[in-house]
Amino acid sequence: MARRDKNISVIINKTAAFIILLIMTLFLVMTAAGGAEGENPEISFSAVMDGSLFRALEERFTLSFVQRNLWLSSKAKIESQICEKVVNGVYIGDDMLLGAEVLSSPSYTSNADAVNRFSAKNDSAVYFVAVPTSSGVYSEILPEYLTGKTEKQCIDSVYSKLNSGIRRIDAYNILKRLNENYIYFRSDSKWTSYGAYCVYRTVIQKLGFQPSAYDKYTIEHVTDNFRGNLWKKSQYMKSKPDILDIYNYNDGAELLSCTGTDNSHKVRRKELYNRDAVDTDDMYSLYLGEDMPLVQINTSVNNERKLLVIKDDFADCFIPFLIQHYSVIDIFSPECAEGKITDFVNIGDYEQILFLFGTDSLGSENIFSPLAD
Amino acid sequence: MLYSSLLFIYAFLPVSILVFYISPQKYRDIILLVFSMIFCAANGLGFLIFMAAYAAFNYFTGILIDVIKKSGTSLEAVPLFAGITADIIVIFMFRTEYMSWLRSIFGFPDEFFPLGVSFFTLSAVGYLTDIYCGRIKAERNIVTFGLYLLMFPKLTAGPVIRYRSFLKISDNRKYGLSEIGKGLIIFIKGLAKKVIIADTIYMLCSDVNNIDREKLSAVNAWLGIIAYMLSLCFTLSGFADMGRGMGYCFGYRLPKSFNYPVFSSRIRYFASKWHMGVVRWFRLYTLKPLYRLSGNQQLKQLLFIAAWCLIGFWYTFSLNGAVWGCLVGIAVTAENFFIRKKILKTTGIIYTFLIMCLLMTFLAGDSIGSSIGYIIAMFGGNRIFADSISVYFFKSYMVLLLVSTYASTDLFGNMMLRSGKSRIRTAFSFISPIVAVLMLMICTALMSYSGNSDIMLIKL
Repeated sequence: MARRDKNISVIINKTAAFIILLIMTLFLVMTAAGGAEGENPEISFSAVMDGSLFRALEERFTLSFVQRNLWLSSKAKIESQICEKVVNGVYIGDDMLLGAEVLSSPSYTSNADAVNRFSAKNDSAVYFVAVPTSSGVYSEILPEYLTGKTEKQCIDSVYSKLNSGIRRIDAYNILKRLNENYIYFRSDSKWTSYGAYCVYRTVIQKLGFQPSAYDKYTIEHVTDNFRGNLWKKSQYMKSKPDILDIYNYNDGAELLSCTGTDNSHKVRRKELYNRDAVDTDDMYSLYLGEDMPLVQINTSVNNERKLLVIKDDFADCFIPFLIQHYSVIDIFSPECAEGKITDFVNIGDYEQILFLFGTDSLGSENIFSPLAD
Repeated sequence: MLYSSLLFIYAFLPVSILVFYISPQKYRDIILLVFSMIFCAANGLGFLIFMAAYAAFNYFTGILIDVIKKSGTSLEAVPLFAGITADIIVIFMFRTEYMSWLRSIFGFPDEFFPLGVSFFTLSAVGYLTDIYCGRIKAERNIVTFGLYLLMFPKLTAGPVIRYRSFLKISDNRKYGLSEIGKGLIIFIKGLAKKVIIADTIYMLCSDVNNIDREKLSAVNAWLGIIAYMLSLCFTLSGFADMGRGMGYCFGYRLPKSFNYPVFSSRIRYFASKWHMGVVRWFRLYTLKPLYRLSGNQQLKQLLFIAAWCLIGFWYTFSLNGAVWGCLVGIAVTAENFFIRKKILKTTGIIYTFLIMCLLMTFLAGDSIGSSIGYIIAMFGGNRIFADSISVYFFKSYMVLLLVSTYASTDLFGNMMLRSGKSRIRTAFSFISPIVAVLMLMICTALMSYSGNSDIMLIKL
């Protein structure tokens, strides 16, 4: 009897070895045959010595692992079942995904100082809008321990460090009040065009104009299949996709030209809306197309007024609302600029400068370094 | 590269097993050593050079002790002392901050950490001591000795075994598909312990740490420390199982490291089931020689506590670890003194578990003060018994806590052993490969985002 038992267990072990080894080799071969994703790692003596070359190889292996997306979405499914609903730093709420990295209270001092120095150097009037991410506006959905330092506190901390000459605009309370509406994407940390419009109404008044009424716009739903950064991070399949809208102003000022300048200072024609982006992986670049250090917009508005917007990607769906008010709008993104802002524009040309940033980029280090001399 | 990474599981492991078994038997030792060296080099060529130098140093010191011993000049204590001092300096150099200046003298970059340094220094010190005491002869075969220190299945997580036992295991190697199957099933069991249980339950632990200490409710504090204990136990035993499983794949039947310590019915059993190789090492090389010096019972008990203090220190290289070890030693001694009669198993399990949770705060904390603060919170020092977060934690982690509780007991093994019917056992052994494949798939999914699972809790 014992002998028979032993024989059976030997047979089973052999089968197990065969199956598991087969799976392992199969995955290896399929991964290798699938071609590598990611960049070629640089081979250098120090990279070999400290193991960073190998880590880069490991990362490539991970990125090109066979059927990676399938694995990722299974991960989201498994994790949301067996423990709390946080997958890869994304909280899976009933209606929407929210960023759930606990804010490690970054120091905003150096970023605020950079803006202060920039504003002191120039005579233009400087306006500053800090926009909360969706986890700031919908913080009540998040479990309590995750909200540690709230985005409201972060924004207050930045605002309190700015010089008194800089005009601060409170986007947080506007958005918080309206959070019953579709002002943030369900699958992205950014606001929707409607969210941007709500804040635009206040911002444009501070800049000295009457806001355009909501009923003057016709709203075009470009796609209802947008999956944003939080979805990409968590790969949580069950979350609902989002709608990307374009707000067309019917009989107002027209866009005369839109050009982009890249880091080698080549100027290219650009569209305000890049409709091809909807068919790509990065649908959000529908607004203003691919990121460029400088985008210049000329409109048929006849008031000779020029505005410089210094921004991150939160501003992309905000910019179209400004077209009705300025002859020239220049948009500078410090995140993708190499070199200084003065290499791209002459700051003395603008009477108004608008800073528009999400709280997530305000926490990152040296975001304003292109503004320094 | 860790055991728990996609590249290791789906490239390094299958390739090394295949190459190992394709090559003729007489070259297999060398092949395994070469793969171990590749494994080292994957963590940086610097690591490989360091390990080669380290192995060579201990190899020659061993021979030197042996030669002097034979010459009868009784000067063999000199190389022994030098060897042990050097080994101890190595472990202090990498594991503590106050000896980090030595690292820069030797030109190690700041981020360089030889994974498993705490394990292989114990092995090396034990080896030299054994030669000195005449229990073994110095190994002349550098491949065998190289495998003892470098063999990748036991490099990063032990088990710590004596050289003599290693030779015995090495002499009784068994090759074959059946051994590979057994090994891979153990490997996957360890992987599942690490990736499915330890990593997810660690989230609960870090959630609790994110709560302000002043607002921490008693229930949350208990949940946090239970999560820490389970996570630590499953991380260490997970890695040990992975190593053990791979050992089987290459013919080495390495011993177990953990024997379900968490729900022991006595503190004494907890202490003897926890990290067995390490605890045995300290008993053999620190406690036993001292025991011989004195027959006094009280002194022996003090020495026992001191040895546990050392074990605790070995985990963290800080006062906190030493206090944890010391308290475990005291708890064992006190239990032996006060509870001599047989007690109900359930009562035993409950008090052992509660006491071990309390003591674990010292291993988990950064300083004695914060650990004591944590214990105060566990007893409602913040005047909050439970709050809405506790409900959220219970709701989110109930399943996982139950699963990990079940996995930390040997109920299943016991059930199998006691079910006299071999038919049930056969049925379960049929299921085990299927379960293993399923576990492997779940682990792969969970590791797919970052490519590995590198939460270590304690860097040993």
